[in-house]
Order: sequence, then C-alpha cells, then structure tokens
Amino acid sequence: MAVQRIVQIASLCLFLVLLFLAAFPLVSPIAVDLFLRLDPLVFLATWLCARSIIPDLMVAALLLVFTLILGRFFCAWLCPMGITIDVADRLIGKKVNPEKQFSRALSNFKYLFLAFILGAAAGGISLVFLGSPLSLITRFYGLLVFPVLSLLASLGLNVTRPLAEAFDVPALAYAEINIPRYALQWFTVLLFTAIFACAVLSPRFWCRYLCPAGALFAVFSRRPFLRRQVNRACTRCGACQPACPMGAIPENPFQTEHSECIVCQKCVHVCPAGAISFTFSSAGTVSESVFSGQRRALIWSGLAGVGAAIVSLTSLKTIPLAQSSGYLIDPVVIRPPGALPEMEFLARCIRCGECMKACPTNTLQPLGLKAGLAGFFSPVITPRRGPCEPLCNVCTQVCPTDAIRSLTPDEKIWAKVGTAYIIKHKCLAWEYDQECLICDEVCPTNAIELKRIDNINVAVPFVEERKCSGCGFCEFQCPVQAGSAIVVEPMHAVRLASGSYRKKGREMGLLLEIQAREKQETPSAPALGPGQKFNALPPGFTE
Amino acid sequence: MRRMLDRRQFLKTSIMSAMWLTAGGAGPGLPKKLIAAGYPDIAIAVGKPEQATGAALDVLGGMQRFVKPGDKVLIKPNMSFPGGVLSATTTNPEVVREVVTMCKRSGASSIRVLDHPLRRDELCIEGVREACRIFNDDMVHGLYKKDFFKAVSIPDAEQLKETRVMRDYLDSDVLIAVPVAKTHGSTGVSLSMKGMMGLVLNRSVMHWKYDLSTSIVDLCTLLKPALVIIDASRVLSTNGPGGPGKVLDMNTIIASTDMVAADAQAVRMFEWYGRRMQPRQVKHIELAHQRGLGRMDIENLMVKRVQV
Repeated sequence: MAVQRIVQIASLCLFLVLLFLAAFPLVSPIAVDLFLRLDPLVFLATWLCARSIIPDLMVAALLLVFTLILGRFFCAWLCPMGITIDVADRLIGKKVNPEKQFSRALSNFKYLFLAFILGAAAGGISLVFLGSPLSLITRFYGLLVFPVLSLLASLGLNVTRPLAEAFDVPALAYAEINIPRYALQWFTVLLFTAIFACAVLSPRFWCRYLCPAGALFAVFSRRPFLRRQVNRACTRCGACQPACPMGAIPENPFQTEHSECIVCQKCVHVCPAGAISFTFSSAGTVSESVFSGQRRALIWSGLAGVGAAIVSLTSLKTIPLAQSSGYLIDPVVIRPPGALPEMEFLARCIRCGECMKACPTNTLQPLGLKAGLAGFFSPVITPRRGPCEPLCNVCTQVCPTDAIRSLTPDEKIWAKVGTAYIIKHKCLAWEYDQECLICDEVCPTNAIELKRIDNINVAVPFVEERKCSGCGFCEFQCPVQAGSAIVVEPMHAVRLASGSYRKKGREMGLLLEIQAREKQETPSAPALGPGQKFNALPPGFTE
Repeated sequence: MRRMLDRRQFLKTSIMSAMWLTAGGAGPGLPKKLIAAGYPDIAIAVGKPEQATGAALDVLGGMQRFVKPGDKVLIKPNMSFPGGVLSATTTNPEVVREVVTMCKRSGASSIRVLDHPLRRDELCIEGVREACRIFNDDMVHGLYKKDFFKAVSIPDAEQLKETRVMRDYLDSDVLIAVPVAKTHGSTGVSLSMKGMMGLVLNRSVMHWKYDLSTSIVDLCTLLKPALVIIDASRVLSTNGPGGPGKVLDMNTIIASTDMVAADAQAVRMFEWYGRRMQPRQVKHIELAHQRGLGRMDIENLMVKRVQV
C-alpha cells in the first residue's frame, strides 16, 4: 500500500477517535477539535467574520505555509473529507473516467464559492458551514454516522446480553448505549448524498470543483517547492492522466497544474516507465494557473457574499442588541452555556456539530430557521430532549472557534442559559391537585420552591428566578404529556464576551452555587410566601 | 385493618408458642439462635455507619437470617443524585459496602447493587461503586433502558395495575432496601417504600396518571424487601429529595423486616423541616398500614436500640 494511503487512513482514524472522544467526561490527550482547527477556511473566514484572530486556529495558518512548500498535500494525506470521498468514489464511481467533459470553468467554481463565503464573512455573516470540509465531515460522522452506529451497537448489546449474563460478565450485561438523536438529519443526508453521488461524474468531484478550503490551498500551491517532475523516460503513454483523481495533468504529461495537484502520487505509481517523481525543485514545466483572467467573476462572487450578508442582517430574526425592544428572540433559542453574545456567537459558530456530538444529554441540537438563515444549524439547548448537566462543561471545551467560551466547571455553573417558568394550567399540582413536584425533585440548583396556598391541597411549585440556571431538568422530567408544564426560555440568559460569569452572576444577585458540597444550615422554617398558610406543613406531609 | 392485626398477632403467638414447645422439648441441644428467636420488629443502632449497620443486623439475628447460601441478592440503595455523602441525598456508600460484606459472608451466590438514577449514572453511582470496588465484582450499576425492565402485573394494586420492574429483581431471591433518610417535596419523606420507585422504568406515570402515594403502595405490594436498612447516618431534613438542605448528623441505622414500620420509625425519630411528624402524616405510610403491608403503629412494636 502506498505511504499516502496509510497516512490517509491513519489520519481518518485519528479524526474519528478524536470525534469519539468528544464526549463527557472529556478524556483526550490532544484537543478533540484538532482537525477542525486545521481548516484554513475556518481560520480565514472566522477571522474576517469575528474581526479577531482566534489563537487556536493559527495552526491552519501554519498549514498554509506548509502548503507553499509541499503543495495541496492536506487534501490527499490528511483531510478526512478527502478520504471519505475516495471511499465513495471507489464504491460508486464509474470505471470510465469522463473527467475531460468538465471544463476548467467548473474547477473555477470553488474559487467563486470561496470568494462568496469570504465576502459574506466580511459582511459579518458566517457561511463557513456550507463549504468547510472539516465542518461538513464532522457533522457527517458526528451527527449522522455516530447515532446510527450507536443504534446498531445498542441492538448488538441486546444480542450479547444473554451471553454476558450466562457467562457472568456484568460490565457487558449491564452496558447501556445512549442513542443520540439529532434534528435536521435531512440536511446532512441530502448534502452528503449529493456529494457522494458526484462520484459518478468524476473522482473527488467535491475536491476538484467545489471545496472552498481546497481553493484556498490551491491559491497557496501554485508554485510549491515539492513538485511533480517528469523525466525523459516518459513515453507519453497517457497512463497518468486518467489515474489522476484531480485531473491535474493536462494533455502534455510533462506539465502539472500544481494548484490542482494534491500530491497523492498516484501518477508515480501508475507510470510504467518510472518517469515521474516528486522532488524539491523549482524546475519543471508549470502549466499556467487556471484562474487568471477571471478576476471579474471572483469580485462579483465576493460582492454577492457581502450582499447576502447585508440582506441577512436586515432579517426579522437578526438580533444586534439582545436587550433592546423590537427584536424577536424565539423562545426556543436557548444557547449553550458560555455562548458569546448572539451576533458574535453566530459570527464564530461554524456549525460543525462538535458540541452537539459531545453533549452527554443530547440536549444540544441544530436549530432550523428560528434564528433566521444566519442561525441555521447553530446549537440550541432542547430541554425536553435532555437537560444541560450542571457538572458537565464539555461543549465549552470542544468548540474550535470559541463561539462557546471555554469555561471551568465552576464558571459554567454561573453561565445561566435561561429561566424556567411554570404553565400553571398544565401543572399537576397547580391545576389538578396532584402530588407531583418532580420539578422540585430534579432541580439541581434548588430553584423550585414549594409553597402551600389556599384552595390547593398539595404544595405547589414556584420558580426562584435567581436560583434558576435554565438547565432544563424540570422541563425534561416534567411528567405532563406533550408540552411540559414547566418550560425554559432564554429569558435572562447571561452572555458574556469576556470576564467572569461567576463575578457577573454575583453582581446580578444570582444564587447559582451548587451548595450541596458542604453542609450548610438553612432556616428550619421556610419563609412564607404570598397566600401561604401560616404554620405551614412541610411539603408532602398531611395534617 | 383490625382483621389484619389479629391475624398477625395470631401468627406471632402461634409461632412463638411452637418455638417454646420445641425449645422445651429439645432443651439445650438446640442452637442458640433458635432459642433466642423472636427478634425485635425494629432495630436501631447508633454509631459509625459501618459498625451501626452490623450492630442493627445483629439485633435482627444477623444477615444469615435473610440471606441463605446460594441466594441471589439484590440491594437497592438510593443512588439517584450526584450530591455525595455530605449532601445526604443518597445512601452512604459505607453502609452499602457493609451490607454487601454481610451478604457475602452469608454465602450469597450473586449480589447486585442497582438503581434507576435520576441523573447520569456515572455521576450518581460512582460513590457506591468506588466503595464496592474492594469486592472486585462489578456489582454496582445504574439502569435506564427498557431492556433491563420487564412488564409485570400487580394483582393487589388499586391503580398501578402493571409496570415494568427490573429483571434483576425478578431473578433475585432476596431484596434488601437500603434507602437514605430524607424529605421529599411530594411524598413527605423518601425512605424504603418511596425508594422502590428506583426499581421501575416508568415513574412519571405514577405522578401524572395515578395518585402518587397510592401507586407507591401498589408498587410495594409487589416489591417487598426481605430486609430494610435505613441509612440515617445523615438525614436530609429539608429540601429533599435533591437538596441542598439541612443535614442532621444522626449516626443512626434503622433495620426491620417491615418496610412500613422501618419508614414509620424514621419519620418519628427525626426532625423534618424543624418539626416532629407522625407516620400517619405521610400518606403512603398511612395507606400501606391500612392495606396491611406493614405496621406504622410502632409504639406497639418491639423496638431495640443499641449503641456502638
């Protein structure tokens, strides 16, 4: 097997292992978002869009420097999207290679796509998620393949369980696998069906014609130091041209389009004369760069991107200032703890789904259009699906662009994401006089206060706003069917671009410390609320 | 209720008389244990958690009275919350470990320590799992999935006529409940009876479809522990079941074969929200007593206290 293939497989394995390790508790010797940080499109577009360089993404800049020397090696050697497409090509690609049907104009498309995304980024709207190969492939494996494999593994456990019980292997007998479920599966499915189906048109169709990160690499690999060289032994047999997955070898086999060449070295292996080698040299014939002479189209694409951003900024759902009136904040848009203020958050979020994959309770879900087009596929807390576990801070640790700030567990407790409110006419205690109060039972911050009031035989719940972190345990566990009788909204969410959540929370008078760690004295008789009976019975007891 | 008491009394008297007759006939040739039979109904031991657990069991005749060699034992502590020992929201891991140790000594063939936690199990069961690691047996688990529960009908139920209970319960010979003593917002207290909800899959139906206290009693007509050991080493006196609340250091272990009596004893012994409560003020205890599951009139029972 070629060295390139081995490295490529190893790279995919590392990518998948890191994606698997993006979970709670976070145990990984290296950053689980490493591959996402390697994407130069993420680096450049997020820099433009957020108007600040994100230090974690500098490694992508380093990769571009390497590209100046080694060419577009990333695409063939490291890119997990590239190898996935290689596999699809092998499975469904046609034997006959009709790449010549596609004109140079189509391979220019990726530059236009790149210009569009960068234009939109300059206009303040991040469309990185449409084209970033690492964002795409993270979603594909994290939000589509992983849930499917989890389901299969879970079914597998059902089969092995009787055996495990018979042979007394409790670890296996009691193993449970949570099956994550994600909204908007169709988006990922359709996108990847299209990308994989293009295998029938040409190998690496995405990489050749569409990938904006590939376009960025291409710009940096027009005259790399490591180049394809063809010596005089070449018989012009033409074997190398159809073998090239990128169509980078023109009619004259002595020439190479370096911006298209991904250094996979297939041509070296197929050449019967052994005439091809990759060596460090500035010699060798260079074919002209394809894109010259079409600057006009490029500029128009960039401007179209800016235009798209401007249109998007006039959307009804755009919220430039969170606290002012006249802006529509959809109640379901509960952002993860530590998410930057909304506009900055959306400018940085590349919709890779890493936080959603890592979320242990599956509460982080991709959003549809509730925050406008600019917020498509961004993560939201979905309490009815799962609560935000107070002891977990994984989403804040795995975000490659720091759209969700990295928070220590102690800080995370103070990152209030919303506030719960009770829908009294659905509540079992308020409306039906039933002993329920699961909300009180499960609330980790003790924000539910039970009070006895006139005309109701059981104690009824109230939300103490200052103690509510918006974690959604109450909404998740509320036994009321269909819509919960206690609901979290992003009301009073704390969104800080910088500074300590704990400090801010204390300033605001929040009481979010998880107090259970140490014994503490609470007053024996709870304070009486309005309408509460004097000398009230403790909650749950009867006279 | 009257009839039940009479029957119990009758049984007790007959067994006791039978025993005395046998003892009289066989004389000193009989083992000591049998002569000393007629154990107290409730044992209360005060001391460090582990020692007190052992002492309470000694009062009741030792674990070998409940666990026979070869028995499969299911231990049901409260492992539903991530609070840790000081929060008093879950059973003290030392108490659970001591119970497991005693079961091992009695020759149990398999021991499982299971619960259906409210939060993610790695957060909730870790304390008990760590404490039980010495047995090297991988016995502590939190179960959530449907596959671990089997649908059963509850013939004596008034409302909860069927539910899914842990398959391990159905497979076991002996069930030992080891709840922590704490308040509960909707049921007053959460002790051994309320704790049986940790062995079922769908608890929410007990809240929204049925009367919670009635369905707890329904459940307890099916899930009857052979032995109840209430961990009152710390008592969560307010804000239960999740806390944080006022924690009382009581250093007490209550043991009984009667889950209603054990729960009633705990209700009477401790302060709840700064008040003294009667067992009848806990609806599910009162209902259980009325339905003959056990006795809440502990003033009429034989209670033995020891200090270690």
